[in-house]
Amino acid sequence: MSIRPSVNSGQGSANKPDEKPFVGPEDLGAFDHAEALGEPGSFPFTRGPHRTMYRDRLWTMRQFAGFGSADDTNKRFKFLLEKGQTGLSTAFDLPTLMGRDSDDPLALGEVGRCGVAIACLADMRRLFDGIDLAKVSTSMTINAPAAIVLAFYIAVAKEQGVPLDQLRGTLQNDILKEFHAQNEYIFPPVPSFGLVVDTIEYCTRHMPQWNTVSISGYHIREAGSTAAEELAFTLRDGIAYADGAVNRGLAVDEFAPRLSFFFDMHNDFFEEIAKLRAARRIWAHVMRDRFRAKNERSWLLRTHCQTAGVTLTEQQPINNVVRVALQALAGVLGGTQSLHTNSMDETLALPTEEAAKVALRTQQLIAHESNVTQTVDPLAGSYFIEKLTNEIEAKAWAIIDQVDAMGGVLPAIDRGYFRRAIAESAHAQQRAIDAGQQKVIGVTDFVDDDAPSVPTLIITQETEDEQVRRLEELKATRDQAKHAAALKRIHDDAKAGVNMMPALIEGAEADATVGEMAEALKSVFGAYDGGPEW
Amino acid sequence: MHSTKHAPRVLLAKIGLDGHDRGVKVLARSFRDAGIEVIYTGLWQTCEATMHAALQEDVDVVGVSLLSAAHMTVMPEMLRFRKELGVEHIPVVLGGIVPEADYPKLEEMGVAAVFNPGSAIDDIVAKMRQLAAARPKLAIDEIKSGYEKGDPHYLARLLSAIQLEMKLDGWSPPKGNASVIGVTGSPGVGKSSFIARLGHQLRDRGKKVAVVAVDPSSPVTGGALLGDRLRMMTGSPDAGFFMRSLSSGPVQGGLGPHCREIVDALNGFGFDYILVETVGAGQSDVAVRDLTDHIMLLLMPDSGDSVQFSKAGIMEIANCFVVNKSDLVGVEATEAQLRSAVGGDRPIWRVSTIRDEGIEAVTDWAESLR
Repeated sequence: MSIRPSVNSGQGSANKPDEKPFVGPEDLGAFDHAEALGEPGSFPFTRGPHRTMYRDRLWTMRQFAGFGSADDTNKRFKFLLEKGQTGLSTAFDLPTLMGRDSDDPLALGEVGRCGVAIACLADMRRLFDGIDLAKVSTSMTINAPAAIVLAFYIAVAKEQGVPLDQLRGTLQNDILKEFHAQNEYIFPPVPSFGLVVDTIEYCTRHMPQWNTVSISGYHIREAGSTAAEELAFTLRDGIAYADGAVNRGLAVDEFAPRLSFFFDMHNDFFEEIAKLRAARRIWAHVMRDRFRAKNERSWLLRTHCQTAGVTLTEQQPINNVVRVALQALAGVLGGTQSLHTNSMDETLALPTEEAAKVALRTQQLIAHESNVTQTVDPLAGSYFIEKLTNEIEAKAWAIIDQVDAMGGVLPAIDRGYFRRAIAESAHAQQRAIDAGQQKVIGVTDFVDDDAPSVPTLIITQETEDEQVRRLEELKATRDQAKHAAALKRIHDDAKAGVNMMPALIEGAEADATVGEMAEALKSVFGAYDGGPEW
Repeated sequence: MHSTKHAPRVLLAKIGLDGHDRGVKVLARSFRDAGIEVIYTGLWQTCEATMHAALQEDVDVVGVSLLSAAHMTVMPEMLRFRKELGVEHIPVVLGGIVPEADYPKLEEMGVAAVFNPGSAIDDIVAKMRQLAAARPKLAIDEIKSGYEKGDPHYLARLLSAIQLEMKLDGWSPPKGNASVIGVTGSPGVGKSSFIARLGHQLRDRGKKVAVVAVDPSSPVTGGALLGDRLRMMTGSPDAGFFMRSLSSGPVQGGLGPHCREIVDALNGFGFDYILVETVGAGQSDVAVRDLTDHIMLLLMPDSGDSVQFSKAGIMEIANCFVVNKSDLVGVEATEAQLRSAVGGDRPIWRVSTIRDEGIEAVTDWAESLR
């Protein structure tokens, strides 16, 4: 691909040998401030989605967490709510993310390990026991079985007597990047994509305060893409979801304000800032010009950012605190709406409480001590930043055009385009490291002889045993006739090609498990084997 | 430059539900560039299926990639199956996030090496070469007698011996009577997934099936990425379904050196069907015709010109046609175009491997060959 940057931006190389040592007005050409930047909070939103940004409202410090059983996480949720937090962020365990029950053979050793295990309505009920769903906003990081997990959540809300239009929260629900990068897919691309559109349609009609898709570049970048690829693939995925919803008969201004984004904050400090600025400018044009959106809120790109887990090293782990601080600062200078900072020990294990606290403190230092929050988009007008923003934007448009020429995201997936590009970029980065062109402190250079010395978190096997026992009990005692009828309806609705949400909610209420509902869908949709490229 | 016949063979595997495959993919490409033949088995594998694959492929090393912190559960399982299958001569190495404290325990249980995210690729490659070179060689007589007793491990060793051009002293495998079917088509048309389904349906009908899958190798280094196996890793391992991945060797688009002898060895072992997957349409056409009894051409919808494109060579020599991915739009048009191009006397099937539809008819046809 000719538009790929000549030097990899993987570990974040700023020393591109072909770059001039400084940049001046001649590098910007005919730069029209009004057209390229506008003011903060106005088209094309390069300088930020809001006029006053962090002066009036800091970004949300959203630390993603989850562990063990529904009861464990429920206790943590209640603790956080008592401390004044209003947003809950749910991490699910690997079996749940893969649409498998806790007692599935492939789930062995994984239940409750990287997040909470939610296999059925009863689990979701325990997760939110004593928490009024009308009063909290819930973020759920789930993709392939997102529609099923949303159905569990809706069923709990109905039991609590909360009207659906009062529910607030976010579903990650971005299946496209699973095919590109993260590999947590179940069904083939076309029906998987259809399920996402089902949730957009359902939420637009019934849950207007719900953020339907968090369109994610994070996993694409972590899997090895360049910054420009991350930007372009993510925005092109966003176009695909918008196309899907429009083709379903929704008006763009009905659903577009509820789309949000999620980017990686990697090592190349200025490139990452430029990436966020370019992202907003491209999306504003896409929404206004391509989709003819009229509502200004449709034009705004709102994003969450997370520091780059892939840049952290097992060697000299305390160095990771510094990496995270620089990456987090790039996110803030780039104008993110919310931020997760990684813990220094994440290459070793799940974070300890102490490491997680330092990560949060890093954000608080930036927010309250550095004073960078006082001026909106402080780097605007810098020759270098504006040139970088223009360049990464141009690269992204070229890639977007390329995907358009392939007929869109789904045909490009079918050709293995995204996976091949990402794997080649990852390989290029590794070659640069092996060749000594890219330094990794503590690994390739400035190496210590002694082993890492931070303590790590240990998780026990008890959660898994207890979860499996509960699930077996449920399977033995539920209303079997009602359960069978609900699964049959899921199969029939999938066959008929109608919106799956009503059938999935009925399934949740009949105590069908995530694995059973995923199997019922699989019997119609088929299973995906990863496509042509690996 | 390394010649293909000396390229070490390494199987790389991801075990369990963890989908983090950046590391394993980077490694696979680096190995290829270093002249190693890499067999990648894809995501979501069990220990048992992985060791079974290692036996059939007769690899020099098995590399397990684990980022889920499950290594102290998974590695003992790997080694248990290695013992159970009688392939303890194949070293097993581990890469991933492994706490320092676990290194001695892993070494003690028999893991040959452990690599972490900071390990230099050159060091990993050197270790692979060292392990491959240290692997004990078997005398050809032992291989022959194991093969004749019907032990699949010795079949795998015989195939390696053929590839290494070991002297068989005038010995040749007994003549078999398998139906040999070549499966060809453009890259991305879904040959491996289709063969996996067809093979499993034939297995369900009690037939013994062997698959030979050819992928291109790098003409510069002799290394190769052999990825067909990951489509075949469905269901539990089964001794009646034997698969071997080959690299095409120096001839671009060819079937690979020794493909005929390998098919003969499989045939003599008593398989009912041998399915030969080629690197893609093109230059290998003639070679496939010489090697097989039947040639099946796979096409897919939305490649309207693929019918025209393929017409030149392969259309004439194919006996039958499969329009795969019938779940995609444009399947009717592609089929109609195909019918008008090839006439009515050669069978055309519409298949969706992803939905498991339409394969019965192909299986029926294959069964009718015998």
